[in-house]
Amino acid sequence: MNFDDLKNEWNAENPKGNNISTDMLKIKQAHTPIDKIRAKMKHEFFYQLFFLAFMAFIPYIVGFSAALNQVYLMTYAITCGFTAYYFFKFYVFYKNSYDLSMDSRKNILWFYYEMKLNIELYKALTYIVAFIAVGFLSAYLFIERASVFVRIFSKLSSVYILLNCFITILIIGAITELWAWFYYGKYLKQVKKIVDELDYE
Amino acid sequence: MKETENIFLTLINQHRAIIHKISKMYMNGVEEQRDLFQEIVLQLWKAYPTFKGNSKFTTWMYRVCLNTALIYFKKDSRKVDKTPLDENIDMIDVNENEGKEEKLAYLYTAVQELNVVEKALIFLFLENQSHREIAENLGISEVNARVKLNRTKEKLQSIIKKNGYEF
Repeated sequence: MNFDDLKNEWNAENPKGNNISTDMLKIKQAHTPIDKIRAKMKHEFFYQLFFLAFMAFIPYIVGFSAALNQVYLMTYAITCGFTAYYFFKFYVFYKNSYDLSMDSRKNILWFYYEMKLNIELYKALTYIVAFIAVGFLSAYLFIERASVFVRIFSKLSSVYILLNCFITILIIGAITELWAWFYYGKYLKQVKKIVDELDYE
Repeated sequence: MKETENIFLTLINQHRAIIHKISKMYMNGVEEQRDLFQEIVLQLWKAYPTFKGNSKFTTWMYRVCLNTALIYFKKDSRKVDKTPLDENIDMIDVNENEGKEEKLAYLYTAVQELNVVEKALIFLFLENQSHREIAENLGISEVNARVKLNRTKEKLQSIIKKNGYEF
């Protein structure tokens, strides 16, 4: 196989087709992994907003006692605070433009670490919200179902209770990790593969 | 803005063969090639403010085009993009090339079996880039670029041979 001949033919090739028009510059949707993750995060943002709005009505729907209502308000405020903080971070990520004119390795590493950082932030928010939910559930059982709770606790050993707490944490961790991987992992995997390919000597 | 747009369009139209060739190297089907072509044009336009004129336009263009192709994600087939495809983009089908540009047709078929980095190496090599330029564009060492390119050329030769063609 003569690569010089191939090069000559390659350079002589002049693809047909009309000129690129201004219409092509008006396309909004880009398809880099960062754009895909950003689009998904945008969707999640709206789901989360809907969820927070719905949470505001839960005390009216369920009818908590005065004491539990106080706990719920506190939980709700903390959830809103954390969510706002993380959404601000996601917004910065969303607005942070990328520079495709860097060399490929730098460019791909930028994508990789930017994606990784934001997936970690996403996981952190999920953990926090999950633990707040578990905390509120515990408070609910203590306040509203104290007698049942005491009865259960009297029958169970401390080791068993601790083991259950540990398993709960593990389940929350596993669901968060799996969800993040399922939702965003494939993009990270593809980009990592390119980084490895470039670094392989 | 309109003036910037016109200058940009003039420049990329002068060098649109680069986008055509990269799209054909990185995507197999004509529709997918069109999608990648559009994506590259979009990314070039988005990145245009970063072009300060310190290097040649083509040097900057190679990088943006290749980086876009390297990290491009195919459109989800279940979701139809509301933006109509530009029918003016004429992606030449492999069969169309047969006879006339047979070697290139076989080349485009064979490169589909290479990974994205190998495709970038072969593309830059065919565009007459030196080992140093390939290394600079990909962000790897010159030695690494040379080794990788040689391996890729061997791999490409064996793929073409396996496909029953030799030149």
